[in-house]
Amino acid sequence: MPQGKSPCGTALSVHHRAKGRRKVKHVQSNAATKRKWKKGARGWLTALPFILPGLILVGLFVLYPMLFTIRISLSNYKIVQGQIDFVGLKNYINILTDASGRFWYAYRNNFLYALVTVPVILFGGMTFAYLINNLKRGRTLFKVGFYLPVITSWVIVSLVFTYMFNNSDRGLINYLLVDKLHILKEYVPWLLREWSGNAAIWLMGSWKNIGWAMLIFLAALQSIPRDLYEAADLDGAGIWGRFRHITIASLKPTAYYVLVNMIIGSFNVFIQVMMLTEGKPNGRTSVLQYLLYDKAFGQFQFGEASAIGLISAVTIVLLTALLNRLLKLDTVEKGGADV
Amino acid sequence: MSLKKWTALIVAMMMAVGCLAACSTAPAEAAATAEPEATQEAVAAEPEATAEPITLVFWHTYGDGEEEQLKNVVLPMWSELHPEITIEAVRQDGSQYHEMIVTSFGTGQSPDVARIDIVNTAAYASQGGLVALSDYEDFAALKDTFLEGPLSTNLYQNSYYGLPLDTNCKAAVINTAIMKELGIEGAPATMEEFIAAAETRGTYSLNVSGVGDWDLYPYFWLFGGALTDEGFTKASGYLDGAGSVAAIQTMLDLHAKKVFTIRDVDGSVDAWDGINSEYAMFFEGPWFFGSYEERLSQGITAATIPTYNGRSASVVGGENIAVFATSKHTDAAYEFAKFMTSEAVQLAMLEKGQLPVLKSLVNNETVLGNPVWSVYMAQLESASARIPSPNNEQIKQVWSDAMTEIFVNGGDVQATLTAAAQQMDALLG
Repeated sequence: MPQGKSPCGTALSVHHRAKGRRKVKHVQSNAATKRKWKKGARGWLTALPFILPGLILVGLFVLYPMLFTIRISLSNYKIVQGQIDFVGLKNYINILTDASGRFWYAYRNNFLYALVTVPVILFGGMTFAYLINNLKRGRTLFKVGFYLPVITSWVIVSLVFTYMFNNSDRGLINYLLVDKLHILKEYVPWLLREWSGNAAIWLMGSWKNIGWAMLIFLAALQSIPRDLYEAADLDGAGIWGRFRHITIASLKPTAYYVLVNMIIGSFNVFIQVMMLTEGKPNGRTSVLQYLLYDKAFGQFQFGEASAIGLISAVTIVLLTALLNRLLKLDTVEKGGADV
Repeated sequence: MSLKKWTALIVAMMMAVGCLAACSTAPAEAAATAEPEATQEAVAAEPEATAEPITLVFWHTYGDGEEEQLKNVVLPMWSELHPEITIEAVRQDGSQYHEMIVTSFGTGQSPDVARIDIVNTAAYASQGGLVALSDYEDFAALKDTFLEGPLSTNLYQNSYYGLPLDTNCKAAVINTAIMKELGIEGAPATMEEFIAAAETRGTYSLNVSGVGDWDLYPYFWLFGGALTDEGFTKASGYLDGAGSVAAIQTMLDLHAKKVFTIRDVDGSVDAWDGINSEYAMFFEGPWFFGSYEERLSQGITAATIPTYNGRSASVVGGENIAVFATSKHTDAAYEFAKFMTSEAVQLAMLEKGQLPVLKSLVNNETVLGNPVWSVYMAQLESASARIPSPNNEQIKQVWSDAMTEIFVNGGDVQATLTAAAQQMDALLG
């Protein structure tokens, strides 16, 4: 044992040295954190001028309206005075427990719209794209023909559909079914009945959007390398084998893209409902966006309208997350790349 | 650029964004302060300084003929009286007019004065969008000059928020040839006579478009129904009362006997079309007779709605003129509103089919001399207004839901009306 140093003193000195080392380490770590922060801040400040215009626009036109909508949905809002009185969840309770059940019918109809139109658009678009892609002549003509409904005004198409589904013999469908083909005995007010009204809305939505899906699928089909088919030929694959293992497999990412877009779009249905049925009879053909419009502009119930808007938004976010999980969209890219 | 300069730049930009955000709420705040100010101005009723030229924005939904009359006849009359006040008349699209006004409330871009539908007046007033004209000193005397029915549509919480501008109601449109087939010369005097004759025809003789309030109220009232008490405070005991149940039952019976058809329920031909060949009668506003001579040549005439149990009934329509709370010239706007309801202007607009709202013009020679206007003015005596309520849209919905339940789904009349009356009570309170 070294002289003049008791075991206790040695322990103390070891303790002090350790403490000193910790202090130094702490100071060093603080300095490192500060440097890191400074570096990070400098990086942000360098990037900020580039992202600031975008941030300002998003803040003004997305975040601010969104936060304001949340606030109104929890308030009684008087539009002229700009008076906003907090009422808690009253607006949500009102729409969810309304005796007429208008909200639930609208919510149901949005899901039904997705359930009916999305498969029709998806498979219709894919089929027509495949057929057009295999045409030797007249591709452009068919492409234009199928895409024409997409660029035609919703209002004009709605007027045509209103005429087709009109009452009595003044409507084309009634005229054909009752007067010409004698399938029905009585004229039917198609647009004023729950299921025929909804069917007209679905039909119009499908007809209007199928061309868009066709074009997307056509682009995807044209991007499939020809050597894949040639290799499959050499391996002895038949028509069905080539279609299933090359065409369908290659179209998967595109199909998911169309699917997600169409499902989200199903919650934005509005014009066809406003133009064809106005939600009649008794809100049975209404959808969330039309109900929102009616609450805000017809009834001055801006709180309830905002609550409906937020419920739609939350539903869309949940559906998108669910689809991502179910369809494993994050792995689709990899899958696509492998093909 | 140094860090300090960048920081300064960012702070400056943040302040600019803050200012923009603050500005975005300005119209609402301006509107919030505008109402009490406007009301005070209205109470004071002091004439505005006339030295400075003023421009008033006037929104309307007049058709081509009426707009021409407004621009070429009415506004020059105004310019002579008030050369310092220019009227900027803006014709809006009728189908989206209500939405335009609601949007203008939110953006603070409302007109100074506007011609609005009578059914929306209470709703706009409840939002604080209109000036209470009854606060003006001369209003008490002015209000006595108007017909009671059209005036009442401006009432909200004991104040009047507009002046009646033009009025109308539904009257009977008669196909004289088909009436002759039924054994009736001209128009039937009573519904009992008409029903007895039409029952044997075997095809629909009387048509209505849908089950909405404007469509079915005249029939409901005609057959003895009642919506609420006289003060529009309670529907229970009225809408579901014995008289109302009997009225709906009468309509159901007539429907079952193929006398009465509802287009939206039966898929039958629209009345405007079917009156030329299929229907003996339907109820409609004066606009159906755009060219009376032409209609008359087709054998179609106007008549007051035949009585049932000794009384006729109809529903009041029309427009009011209202001053908007966001206007900076509410006194001048009120002056213009009064001018539009003056005898001279009412007679000028009558030339284009706008029925007057002044008591003094009921027996005017021009009105009595016209085969259509005289019928509608006479019908107004038995016409009732719809419920003047800020919840008008919801009330309409309750009514139409109940009628759909009865006429489309075959719901029990008493039970459906009782449920509807309870819902209406909550909206009237």
